[in-house]
Amino acid sequence: MIPEFNYVRAQSLTEAQQQLSTDGARVCAGGSDLLGCLRDEVFDCSKVVSVTGLDELRGITRSRDGGVNIGALTTIAELAANSTVQELYPGLAQAAAEVASPQLRNQGTIGGNICQKPRCWYYRGEFECLRKGGDTCYAMAGENQYHCILGGYRCYIVHPSDTAPALLALNASVQIAGPRGERVVPIEDFHVAPRDDVQRETVLEDNEIVVAISIPQPASGLRSSYRKVRARGSWDFALAGVALALAFDADRVTGGRVVLSGAAPIPWRSREVENTIIGQRIDATLAREAADAAMSEAAALKNNGYKIPLFKGVIEEQLLAIASA
Amino acid sequence: MNDPKEALYYIDGVDVPETPPARDLDQEPWGETTVVGKPLPRVDGYERVSGTAVYPADMSLPRMLYGAILRCPHPNAVVRSVDTSAAAAMSGVHVVMSGFTPSSRALQAHRQLIESNLFNPHCRHEGETVAAVAADNPYRAQDALRAITVEYDVLPFVADERRALEPDAPQVREGGNQVSDTQQYQRGDIEQGFVEADVVLEEDYRCECEIHTPMELHGCVAQWDGDSLTLWESTQGVYNVQAQAAAALGVPLSKVRVVNRYMGGGFGSKLAAGKYTVIAALLAKEAARPVKLVLTREETLLAVGNRPPSNMHLKVGVKRDGTLTAIQFTGTGTGGSQQAGGTSLLDWIVRDLYVCPNVRTETTDIYINAGPARPFRAPGHPQCSWALEQMMDALAQAIDMDPVELRLRNIPTVSQGRNNIPYTTTGLRACLEEGARSFEWQQTKDAITTESDSHIRRGIGVASGLWVAGGGGPPSTAIVKIYADGSVNLNMGASDIGTGTKTVMAMVVAEELAIAPGDVQIEWADTGSTQYATGSGGSKTVPTESPAVRAAAIDVKAQLLELAAGEMEVDASLLSLADGKVVAGGDSPKEVEISALRSLRRRGSVTGIGYRGPNPSGKAVNPFVAQFCEVEVNTRTGEVNILRFLGAHDSGRVLNLLTYRNQVFGGITMGIGYGMTEQRVLDVDQTGKMANKNWHDYKLPTALDVPADMTCLPIDLNDTEANTTGAKGIGEPATIPTAPAVANAIYNATGVRVTGTPIDPTKLVSALAAARGED
Repeated sequence: MIPEFNYVRAQSLTEAQQQLSTDGARVCAGGSDLLGCLRDEVFDCSKVVSVTGLDELRGITRSRDGGVNIGALTTIAELAANSTVQELYPGLAQAAAEVASPQLRNQGTIGGNICQKPRCWYYRGEFECLRKGGDTCYAMAGENQYHCILGGYRCYIVHPSDTAPALLALNASVQIAGPRGERVVPIEDFHVAPRDDVQRETVLEDNEIVVAISIPQPASGLRSSYRKVRARGSWDFALAGVALALAFDADRVTGGRVVLSGAAPIPWRSREVENTIIGQRIDATLAREAADAAMSEAAALKNNGYKIPLFKGVIEEQLLAIASA
Repeated sequence: MNDPKEALYYIDGVDVPETPPARDLDQEPWGETTVVGKPLPRVDGYERVSGTAVYPADMSLPRMLYGAILRCPHPNAVVRSVDTSAAAAMSGVHVVMSGFTPSSRALQAHRQLIESNLFNPHCRHEGETVAAVAADNPYRAQDALRAITVEYDVLPFVADERRALEPDAPQVREGGNQVSDTQQYQRGDIEQGFVEADVVLEEDYRCECEIHTPMELHGCVAQWDGDSLTLWESTQGVYNVQAQAAAALGVPLSKVRVVNRYMGGGFGSKLAAGKYTVIAALLAKEAARPVKLVLTREETLLAVGNRPPSNMHLKVGVKRDGTLTAIQFTGTGTGGSQQAGGTSLLDWIVRDLYVCPNVRTETTDIYINAGPARPFRAPGHPQCSWALEQMMDALAQAIDMDPVELRLRNIPTVSQGRNNIPYTTTGLRACLEEGARSFEWQQTKDAITTESDSHIRRGIGVASGLWVAGGGGPPSTAIVKIYADGSVNLNMGASDIGTGTKTVMAMVVAEELAIAPGDVQIEWADTGSTQYATGSGGSKTVPTESPAVRAAAIDVKAQLLELAAGEMEVDASLLSLADGKVVAGGDSPKEVEISALRSLRRRGSVTGIGYRGPNPSGKAVNPFVAQFCEVEVNTRTGEVNILRFLGAHDSGRVLNLLTYRNQVFGGITMGIGYGMTEQRVLDVDQTGKMANKNWHDYKLPTALDVPADMTCLPIDLNDTEANTTGAKGIGEPATIPTAPAVANAIYNATGVRVTGTPIDPTKLVSALAAARGED
């Protein structure tokens, strides 16, 4: 049952920041993650600050540099259905369409999606885990079939977002409003790995709010895609996913990024794949080589060894698909 | 054991005394029917869909309080002390009770509450009840639970039955972790059978623990009026709950009324009263106010039942011509920390489904520190089917025979598990043959083998099955009344657990009385006002209740026609009913509106009583099934897309084609969940707690996990021996062979056999990679 809290619906960004400056305050946009965390008693919350009245944080607009600016309150469903996004960044539209379920896509926002708390069942359950201030990561020796194979360090969550890997592949930036004004953080630097801080998922301070996400103009010949493998057809997080944003000159890859979801505690940029394919023509041999390279540093836990052949399979499939797109 | 149904632990195993004989009236099997068999929508569809149907959780009574239960967070712990003082002092909190409260200690736990006190001082599973509160709103009730301080001695636990028999495993109960002696069954000479075989295969199989978690949560509302208790409870059997609540509370049956009008699913987990039922009654008594107690989703995942996990080993011998020569089956399972049927009926399909003279089975039930099993849609059968049907597939391949053909070579006409008594009908052959024809099995098989070597592969699979029960039987009493205006009332004690029982019974009445089903007003599932009925489990509600309802309708019709015969001065044998009129055929046709019958008006109503007659002696009444599916497998990722399913079912006469299809599609959907997505995950190596006790992590299948292309093919063999409506059960057989049919299709597509549920990418991708020689 959700604990008792005060509720404030901010009328301005400034008011939202002021309200968030008190202890125990939490920002609420779609609420689909926050309310679940409160019900599961993942963290304390004495005040919920709703930002749903801030209409200036809604909508998708073209930016002057030819890219797009996505307001943080834009719903995942709006993002998936937006024709500009579908045209310029199909990988992002695909990622949005793969999120959760229709109900949650209608309710959840892009700002919230990249700030999600981990779905680790120890973190969400009645376990005093390291990330919640305890002294153990239960996933290390426990039921870790859905946990990370890359980037784990004392904590072995996977980052739950589908859109963040696509945004990272597209070199997006996060606009953050705080008491000292706005700052812009590349999404590559937005998420915090457990090696840096085991109790944080993002660089956001308590009274900071994500206000928008901007994506630069697509490079010439850019193709993008997102592919998600999951245990259930709807309402499920990635067992393994791959976001591609690759620039092609004819059939040669000239640049771009490859990002894995379901692999690591943060959206995981696979420079091994990038280095293997950039400057090359993707054929079956190269795709396999790149897939193997992606997993060269992977370390499986007791129950998630399947992720290694799974990532190899999905990376191989997606590289071949984008090369022939 | 001659009648294995006695092993169904929700049936008492006591012979049913003969019910009063029906009046000597014509109850010949129906020929052509006008209503029965049609695909008619639910008589209560509007109420259910519009939200006007009142479920127990919707109840609101004046001055009603809200109950909540504090549960043990540990898999094994002794409760040292419970400090309820802070909770009791909270505003709005009316009652707090624990195992130390006199009113709860005084209760002797009823057998059905399974050798466990209401608040057990030794909690042997996570989710065991420790304390309870009643408060004036649900939030205060939860706050009060948080204010209770419990001191536990946390003990070592064992949460995996595969380790529980090891010498150093913690003891769940004194006397060791084996529940009772290993159960054995044998016929023929198993060793000789293996000698005669051309091919012998062996394999291990495992099915994970599946949880009922019906859409409607478990719970009830309890209200006392003096020393009489009324319970509005979500239950499959109001009379079961009445008996158990009365026994636990020490109250006469006559003073416990249990009502269950609308219900949102049980699947076997709501056949008995829960501890929550008794707790709600106690809280209400102590508060002298009504109490509503509805469990949380987490509680339903922990503490009110599951299909036990099963570990099975099969060794089977077959001749090249497809003759089965020997089947050896070993199975272990666990009902958790209680005697809850961890291996109930686990070997029945091995004993009974295919002709085989030499069979040996052994099953061993094991205690672990986990929540109790409860009957779950065909107890034991989907597990055994998972093993045997995959084995049949492997044997077919080993002798180079089509898997449908191998099954057809081994169709029994007698129940071998019951000393060879005959079945009334066995539709197994027809299910396989007509199912294969309708599915285009051979054509699809030919098309697939010529496909290219893309990493997306197609395959088809078949599995068949039978259900040990499904014939129903006495006792059941139904009453049908015709009022002076010709309107009709049906009174029956059975629940409609969401399957459409009310609709089917209204159709039976309508068939006999020549009225529309929607014109039958129904009283049901209320111990205070309806007749005795057994719980709706075992796929027996339709075959049990519909003959009683039909007999009552025939009885009331006969009485009505006798009244009319006197007034119309026509012999009753010449009269019939049509459109609210009594019609006389013969040489001088005439008709009278029922509402115009003076003698009926004078009497007010005519009442017909029907009883369920006995089943045919010396025969087995069982439903049979064959299911077929086609899948597409991504061999790089282990993703499975189920393209289509066909269920061919012999469940006797179809009484309502629409609700029959609902059961088949629902059974296939549940079977897909069993085979592909669902499993309880316990943190066996660290805390013993359930890791996935929510609907996100416990993965029920969604609409995207089941094929849009589903076909229901009823095989109606006109079973006139089974009972007077010819119906057999459909609910349970519909889910029995689904999972192995998918597993066999995946094998057909990929050459990889996955012997453990669920087959999701976490299992399949590794198996596929290993098959390619990768690590």
